[in-house]
Amino acid sequence: MHLELGNIFINDVQFGSQTKVENKTLYVNKEELITLISEDEHLKSVDVELAKPGESIRITPVKDVIEPRVKVAGSGGIFPGVLTKVDTVGAGRTHVLKGAAVVTTGKVVGFQEGIIDMTGTGAEYTPFSKLNNVVLICQPVDDIKPHDHERALRMAGLKAAEYFGKAGKDIEPDEVLSFETLPLLKSIEKYPKLPKVAYVQMLQSQGLLHDTYVYGVDAKQTLPTLIKPTELMDGAIISGNCVSACDKNTTYHHLNNPIVQDLFKQHGKEINFVGVIITNENVFLADKQRSSNWTADLAEYLGVEGVVVSQEGFGNPDTDLIMNCKKIEEKGIKTVIVTDEYAGRNGASQSLADADPKADAVVTGGNANEVIKLPPMEKIIGDLSIVNTIAGGFDGSVQKDGSLVVELQTITGATNELGFNKLTAKGF
Amino acid sequence: MDKIIITNNKLVHQGYYEKVETLFLGDFTYLQVLELVRDKIHKGHKLLTHPLSGSVKPNETPFKSIIISKKQNVMSFADLSIIEESIASAKRFMGNQVTPAWSEKILNDFRIIDLSLIENGICNMYF
Repeated sequence: MHLELGNIFINDVQFGSQTKVENKTLYVNKEELITLISEDEHLKSVDVELAKPGESIRITPVKDVIEPRVKVAGSGGIFPGVLTKVDTVGAGRTHVLKGAAVVTTGKVVGFQEGIIDMTGTGAEYTPFSKLNNVVLICQPVDDIKPHDHERALRMAGLKAAEYFGKAGKDIEPDEVLSFETLPLLKSIEKYPKLPKVAYVQMLQSQGLLHDTYVYGVDAKQTLPTLIKPTELMDGAIISGNCVSACDKNTTYHHLNNPIVQDLFKQHGKEINFVGVIITNENVFLADKQRSSNWTADLAEYLGVEGVVVSQEGFGNPDTDLIMNCKKIEEKGIKTVIVTDEYAGRNGASQSLADADPKADAVVTGGNANEVIKLPPMEKIIGDLSIVNTIAGGFDGSVQKDGSLVVELQTITGATNELGFNKLTAKGF
Repeated sequence: MDKIIITNNKLVHQGYYEKVETLFLGDFTYLQVLELVRDKIHKGHKLLTHPLSGSVKPNETPFKSIIISKKQNVMSFADLSIIEESIASAKRFMGNQVTPAWSEKILNDFRIIDLSLIENGICNMYF
C-alpha cells in the first residue's frame, strides 16, 4: 500500500468571500461554513473565529483539533465510516493543509478542560499554538443530552476539516512525502537483515467523552487488529475523547502520529517497520485481559523483534499499558512504552498507577501535575470562567489580572503520549 | 447476576439496582468506595472493573462505581495490587488538591460520566 501526502503549506488564515487556498493563505467564507455546520439539529448557534500564532488569544475549552485533508487519488475519502463510505483508505494521494487546523470548543459538561494559548508561556506547551486555527464555537439546543452534544461537536469539527480540505484538492502541494507498507512477507524479503518492528497504538475507549472511533466503529467494541499506518493518515481513526486534555490524542494527533512518522523515517535503514496493531482501553478487566492477550499474540504472529506501545489517558489505561508491555515481553519481543506522568507537583511521586519490571524502556511525555502560570490574553475564544472547573485548575486559578495558575494537564496536548509535544529533560 | 456494583452514584443505583445487586453508599467519598472494594477483595471477591475507570481525575469527580464478583474465592493478589495502586494514585491527587465543592449541575455531569463508564458492557458480562 502506497500513499503520497501532498503538503500545501498554510502560513495565514483570513476571512474572505470564498473558501480557497491562495498564496499559502487559507481564506474562509464564514457564512458558508456556519451554514454547513448549522445543519446539525442539535446545534442552536454556530460562530467562527480565527486564531493565529503569536496572537494574544486563549481558546478554551478545546474539544478536538483536526487537520484539513482531502483524498485526491485512491479509494475512499477522509474520515471513512464517519463522513464518507467505509472504503479502505491509506493508498493513492492525499492533500494536507499543513499549518492549518480546525479547533472545536464548547462546554459539553460543567467541568471541562483544554486550553490553547496562541502566545506566551502556554503556547510553548501546545503544538497547536503554531497553527492557523479556525475555531468553531457551537452552542447546543437547550436540554441536550451530553452524548448528543459530544457527537454534534465531534461531527462539526470533522465536517469543517473536510470542507477546508476540499479547498486544497486542486492545489499543487509544496512538498510530496511518500509512504509504503508492503505485504508482510515481501517486507521481510526486502529487508532480511533489519529487525522487524511494529507499533501498538492503544485507543481510549471507556465511555462518554472517553471514546475513539475506527472507521466509524466505537473502539471499545473492537478487538485488537492490524491496520496499515497510512490508513491513520487518511483519518481511519478519529477522536471522541474530551477528557484529559494534556494526554488525549486529538484527531490531529491521529493524522500526524509522530511514532508512525519516526518509524517510517527509520524504515529500511535501521528497522523494518511492518505495521500497526490497534487495541483499546476498556473499563472491564476481562476486556483488558482479552485485548492484551490478542495484542501480544498479533505481535508474535507478525514475528517482530520489537514494538513501540503508546498509551492514551490517565489511570485505568496504565493497567492496559503494563499488561500489553508485560505480555509482549513474555513473547520474547522487546518493548518501548510511551506514556506521561502524574508524579505530583514536585515530580517526586510514583508516575503511573501500574508498573512492572519488564517496563524497562519508557518514554515520558512529561509530568502533568507540574504547576505553571499563564499570562492573561487579550481575547478569549470560548469561556474562561470554566478554568476554575477545569482539570488541573482549582479555586483561584484565575488571578485578578486574568492570568491563570494551573497544572500542565489543562493544556491541550502538553504531555501527549505519542510524543507530539516539546517537553524534554536535562541531565545534571 | 453473579456480580455486585459498589457505588456512591445515585444514577448508577437507580439504573441498575433492579437488575444487579447494588451496594449504594450515598455518603461515601471516592476514596472510601475504593477502600471498601479493597476490603472486599481481601475477603475473596474478584475485581471486575478497573477502579480508576475514566480519565476524570480522582480529585475531580466525587463519584465512583466499581463492579466485583458476588462469589468469594481465594484472594487475588493481582486484584489487590490493582486496587492498592489505585488507592495510592487517588491519594496522590487528593494531596495535590482536594475535590472542589461542585455545583449540583456539575455533580450531575460527573454522575452521568461515571454511569456511562460502568454501563458500557455491563449487559454482556457473562462471568
